[in-house]
Amino acid sequence: MRARGAASAGTPSAAPQRAGSRRPGAGPPGWAGAVPRARRPRAGLAGARLPVAAAQPRGCVSAWCSASRLLCPAPLRTRGRAMVILHAGLCPGLTAEMIQLLKANGIQTVVDFISSDLEEVAQKCSLSYKALVAVRRVLLAQFSAFPINGADLYEELKSSMAILSTGSKSLDKLLDSGLYTGEVLELMGAPGSGKTQVCLSIAASVSHSLKQNVLFIDSTGGFTASRLLQLVQSRTEEEEEQVVCSVGPVKLLVVDSVSAVVCPLLGGRQSEGLALMMQLARELKTLAREFGLATVVTNHVTRDSSSGHLKPALGRSWSFVPSTRVLLESSQGAWGKASTQRIASLRKSPRQPTGIQVELDIGGYEALEERPGASGEEL
Amino acid sequence: MQRDLGSLPLAPALRARLVGAGFSTAQELLEVGPCELSKEIGISKEEALETLQVIRQECDSNAVRTGGDPTALRKCTALELLEQEQAQGFVITFCSALDDMLGGGVQLTKITEICGAPGVGKTQLCMQLAVDVQIPECFGGLAGEAVYIDTEGSFMVERVVDIATACVQHCQLIAEAQQEEDHHKALETFSLEGILSHMYYFRCHDYTELLAQIYLLPDFLSEHSKVRLVAVDGIAFPFRHDFEDLSLRTRLLNGLAQQLISIANDHKLAVILTNQMTTRIGQSQSTLVPALGESWGHAATIRLILHWDNNQRLATLYKSPSQKESTVPYCVTPHGFRDVQPPPPSQTPEGSEMNPRKRPRIEEDKQ
Repeated sequence: MRARGAASAGTPSAAPQRAGSRRPGAGPPGWAGAVPRARRPRAGLAGARLPVAAAQPRGCVSAWCSASRLLCPAPLRTRGRAMVILHAGLCPGLTAEMIQLLKANGIQTVVDFISSDLEEVAQKCSLSYKALVAVRRVLLAQFSAFPINGADLYEELKSSMAILSTGSKSLDKLLDSGLYTGEVLELMGAPGSGKTQVCLSIAASVSHSLKQNVLFIDSTGGFTASRLLQLVQSRTEEEEEQVVCSVGPVKLLVVDSVSAVVCPLLGGRQSEGLALMMQLARELKTLAREFGLATVVTNHVTRDSSSGHLKPALGRSWSFVPSTRVLLESSQGAWGKASTQRIASLRKSPRQPTGIQVELDIGGYEALEERPGASGEEL
Repeated sequence: MQRDLGSLPLAPALRARLVGAGFSTAQELLEVGPCELSKEIGISKEEALETLQVIRQECDSNAVRTGGDPTALRKCTALELLEQEQAQGFVITFCSALDDMLGGGVQLTKITEICGAPGVGKTQLCMQLAVDVQIPECFGGLAGEAVYIDTEGSFMVERVVDIATACVQHCQLIAEAQQEEDHHKALETFSLEGILSHMYYFRCHDYTELLAQIYLLPDFLSEHSKVRLVAVDGIAFPFRHDFEDLSLRTRLLNGLAQQLISIANDHKLAVILTNQMTTRIGQSQSTLVPALGESWGHAATIRLILHWDNNQRLATLYKSPSQKESTVPYCVTPHGFRDVQPPPPSQTPEGSEMNPRKRPRIEEDKQ
């Protein structure tokens, strides 16, 4: 086996699209990408070592899962796009009669074909072994993932990824200098903890200081344009700057909040709720990666019934979707005393140690700023 | 459009068969004809035809919605939103301190939640707002109608008569002081009978009726397009007793919240909800928190908590996207919700909190 390329963490490999007009599926962040360099499958793959990550490559089935169903069952069950039905014209050499014979023996999709033993199939369907091997080779080349080595990946990332500053130094420090495009940041917090304020502040800062377009999707009715105006006005005094309208690509997507629309679908006897939530997650990540957007999502918290602690809503499945999670809390417990101080702590991050906290001031007319002389940072 | 099969409205058994046969997106299904589909999956031709029709309808309606009708997605720039917001009015509460704290009054297109212990004035505030929304525009109101949904049975018509009479008198005083033409014209329609006839009252006895009423509200509102306020007095009451399945309750409440948000946005009205308080027992102390749990806290955009402090009623703005958190005192008088009057200077300079217009409070009900 050749040496594994050390892929950098953060984004899955940018394999060129092979399978026709399929849209790429979203891979999870931090895919180890540890695939062997060789592309062509060798005969007798039973002894070959399989790729470690049963990740979902862009719209294709991993070539090496064909070796044996027992060794690598997960990729066969991965969603959808791997299960392409065999039909005539899928590749040269695959004729309609062949398809009929294969179907009669229970081989309907590409995955079935590739993972079956060709000698048996040749005998049962009375097709020529050579023809079957040729077809399989073409199918594999057409549908398999194309590995890319770590150095190329790094070069591509350096040229395509951007880091958007959030406008607040303390928040930037928490997020390792800002929002990374192609990734999803989740803000969670109790009601009144300031999630909408942080979103508005980031939107104001990105659209004003960085002159990028922002798409704000609001599902709670919390978007107040006058507050946004206050935030923009605190950054600049000129009227023209506040109103300038730029035509250009959107660079920041803010969804406030995703759990308000997904929560009614989950639980109970509704089985599609989870599927819809995962489809939403996939769309978000595909958008983030394809268009190079930085995505900010807001989530609610619920109280854990056993321990009484606050935990993020939407469950464990959703917790794999964002790459960075920040929890917002009030600095004082009781609601009796009004304060504009909030503590933001890092709960999940691919770059920083978790548990870092910074203090933010979301009130008044200023941007998100740390309190002067704040000693609230802990490592 | 590449829509996943999981998101289309198909029967689970049918979906399982489709996935087993290798279909994953709506696009693939639409390429196949009904005969081939029935052969591949093993269902009858009529079923295959039906399924394809359903899918085609879904995809077409999506295309129409995204392509042809941008208003359905409600996409607009922040500048347009700002202009809309600045042109919008507020529903005033007649308590100027409270109005200032809220930024002018109860905002339209947002959900405001009012929480408080029993007897602190939540229903009074709802009734006051239901009257205030009808104030004519020349006096600074919205000239709208009100929908009042009552689950606790605490709506008293006699009290509304008192409040409305005081409001009409207030406007008459303004009209006499300013002597403008449209004031007098407006006062002809703004009378006690007018106010009462423009308040639509619904009584719901349990959560099913409440849910049904709120889901049917859009139809009602499209007939009565002048409604500018929907008040639900007691949203906690039907959900707090007799509910074994708490996750069902959370789901119902979330769905309710989303429905109210969409009503508030589509018809440009203010939604007011009243909530009860419950005790959360911590390690060393217990605190009063709004009822219905953490997840309900996210439903309301603006949260107002009414509480007592030594015989004085206070209102705290706990959650708001545009205003700062603060606390103001108020009082409930025979005329309705009013500001706390500063004590007249002839009294002793102790700064005592007794003031003549305050309704006396019984001692043993103190928190």
